[in-house]
Amino acid sequence: MIDVDVAQRLGTFDLAAKFSADAPIVGLFGRSGAGKSSVINAIAGISRPAHGRIVINGTVLFDSAAGIDVPPEARRVGCVFQDPLLFPHLDVEGNLLYGLRRRAAPERVIEPARVVDLLGLEPLLRRGVRHLSGGEKQRVAIGRALLAQPRILLMDEPLAALDVPRKSEVLDYVLRLRDDLGIPILYVSHSVPEITRLADTVVVMSEGKCLAAGEIDIVMGRLDLKPATGRYEAGALIDTRVASHDAAHDLTTLEFDGGVLVVPALDARPGDRVRARIRARDVSIALERPAGISILNILPGTVTAIEAETGPIVDVSIAIGRAALTARITRRSVEGLELRVGQPMYALIKAVSFDRRSVGYA
Amino acid sequence: MRAFATALGGLLAMLFALAAAAADVTVFAAASLKESMDAQARAFEAATGNKVIVVYGGSNTLARQIEAAAPADVFVSADLDWMDYLHTRRLVAPGTRVELLRNTLVLVAPAASAVTLRIEPGMALAAALGGGKLVMANPASVPAGKYAKGALEKLGVWASVEARVARSENVRAALALVARGEAPLGIVYRTDALAEKGVKVVGAFPPESYAPIVYPAAVVADSKSPAARPLLAYLRSAAARSTWTQFGFAPAGE
Amino acid sequence: MAYFGPEIPGILALSLKVALVSVLVSLPLAVGVAYVLARASFPGKTLLDAIVHLPLVLPPVVVGFALLLLFGRRGPLGSVLESWFGIVVAFRWTGAALASAIMGFPLMVRAIRLSIEAIDRRLETAARTLGGSRGFVFASITLPLALPGIITGALLSFARGLGEFGATITFVSNIPGETQTLPLAIYTYTQTPGGDAAALGMSLIAVALSIAALAVSEWLTRRATRASGP
Repeated sequence: MIDVDVAQRLGTFDLAAKFSADAPIVGLFGRSGAGKSSVINAIAGISRPAHGRIVINGTVLFDSAAGIDVPPEARRVGCVFQDPLLFPHLDVEGNLLYGLRRRAAPERVIEPARVVDLLGLEPLLRRGVRHLSGGEKQRVAIGRALLAQPRILLMDEPLAALDVPRKSEVLDYVLRLRDDLGIPILYVSHSVPEITRLADTVVVMSEGKCLAAGEIDIVMGRLDLKPATGRYEAGALIDTRVASHDAAHDLTTLEFDGGVLVVPALDARPGDRVRARIRARDVSIALERPAGISILNILPGTVTAIEAETGPIVDVSIAIGRAALTARITRRSVEGLELRVGQPMYALIKAVSFDRRSVGYA
Repeated sequence: MRAFATALGGLLAMLFALAAAAADVTVFAAASLKESMDAQARAFEAATGNKVIVVYGGSNTLARQIEAAAPADVFVSADLDWMDYLHTRRLVAPGTRVELLRNTLVLVAPAASAVTLRIEPGMALAAALGGGKLVMANPASVPAGKYAKGALEKLGVWASVEARVARSENVRAALALVARGEAPLGIVYRTDALAEKGVKVVGAFPPESYAPIVYPAAVVADSKSPAARPLLAYLRSAAARSTWTQFGFAPAGE
Repeated sequence: MAYFGPEIPGILALSLKVALVSVLVSLPLAVGVAYVLARASFPGKTLLDAIVHLPLVLPPVVVGFALLLLFGRRGPLGSVLESWFGIVVAFRWTGAALASAIMGFPLMVRAIRLSIEAIDRRLETAARTLGGSRGFVFASITLPLALPGIITGALLSFARGLGEFGATITFVSNIPGETQTLPLAIYTYTQTPGGDAAALGMSLIAVALSIAALAVSEWLTRRATRASGP
């Protein structure tokens, strides 16, 4: 359980972040400069807020009113930053064990062998850190943070400096951590695909304030948060289950509350939970079920909100059963179709618009 | 790295052992006594087994250091002023002050020089210098310099050469400059000229042109060395006298 | 040409002893001062920096004179040292070491400060989040990474100490066997009739020592840099 309520003057703006969240992975999302790293620094004890309170899993780390300010070395908060910050004068093993050595024997619950195995670090142990690849360095950084026996892991844009294949590789490891070790993770990112892949709960920040906190598919779909979540990334997340495969055509059918989605074939077994991300710009609207059309996903739904906006583009919220979608269409079409809240319609999504990054294990 | 640290430790231990042990008696002596006092010290060591260390310098510097509690046991000054200086400050052991030696003042030139000059009132010293400097110990404070300036003033030529004087820290520094040919002329003690093969005496200053050069010696008040008084006695003894004369000094009182 | 007399080992030993002791004694202080100047900010920091650099720009004789005033047996600090601890530095090799330490201090601090400033502070922050206290982080991260600069600073100060003259002769005078270090011995021989050959011999030794010190500094720095990464 993460309880944060901090206020701090930071250069150009004031941080006034207040949220409570609880989940295996809590995402902290917002644009660059929203104040996310400042929150991380406050939790880790790297910076001191002007006033506020920070409680992690029932332990008070900071309470300005009570005069409590636990020094960073005593907070048991593991940190992984965008820059791995490995110690250049120690080899990989030396880095991994740095924090472990500071802990008394009974506290060493997370063991080196387990972490090395989890993160695939065995072949790297004796090497110096200078010539490791970006992904390897970051895995060592994660392992090092874990072996310091943290009660929570803070990850501040850990994938930002990696190229796409490495991002994916490290992301998989992070998911393994969640499943295997059971340590809560607070994951900061400005990248929607990362956050949606990893987090179950998300806190959205903008200009130093927390705008919303809640289940990820709901929060990410909210139109009023669009300025914070980013216009071009607008979309929706739908939790689905794999229903069946069409081997002949290399397609997979996903079931959700509201209908089915047909997507290019997934490497998954029927019954696996899969989260699908649908970009708003890939969704079209029809008032009647179209015929003779190539689009495979035609989902009946209801308009729940129409964004009031000037400019050529409008985002329309749609309910498909209990799931929520956003469709991005022209204002001219909104007027031409005379779309109104409550209107029944069909959402059209091309199967082709689902790529590897849109569909991932939940 | 560890090997380096061990080597360092060993080196330090060795150095502490190598560096000299403390002396039994320390003498602060005017620079002009270098060779003679060294000889006396060796003789005293041989005779008594006491270790002697001699520190040489301008008498002014040495006196100031004794005033600052330098570890001197015996002080031999090149003039009376600096011994008086310590005497007034009660830094001299009562009853130990004696007049030890006498010396005379000479004008010297590099051994290869062709300069000739009669030393008399109004002599053409400036002309003899050519474009070069007249070196002497600092006339403001060092005994040899004070005598030199006094003699030149008495002879009426100080004004003509004052601007050409190079002042050195002690008389031996002046001697070295002349010996190296860096200066055409210099004023030093006769004993210095005798010690240095690189200079020759151009002429002696008439005794009436300067106050008698007397070297007083005394035991320093704070001295704790039991060998101090015996050393001073030795320096005045008949055995020491021949050594002094050998180096060109006249024993005081003659 | 050059003459190497029997008194040379003793003079050399004294010079090395004085220079080594001066470096060893001043090194911890220099590391501390360099760390404060590199990392902390406080009113008076510029003043501290200026004071540290004074021996670099003042004439050595001035430093020696100041030492005599302060640490002479009748001086304020010297009399305290003697009456409380029984330590006398005036006219002793310890005073020569003190003079060398002071003259070499700015060189030491500069080199160490530069190498501390080159350390990414975020490494120290990361170490703290891993459970290291300030002291442990300093010892396990800062010091090892600053090692090349510490070595350079120590050796620069050592070489400076070997050659220290003005402050030494003013403060502790020229006592053979006690304070007559190599430079002072060379000076004495230049004023001794017939002493030029001996002076030359000792000068050559001084040159050889300085070159050796610089070579060792290079070798150690390269080893330390290799060990501590990019």
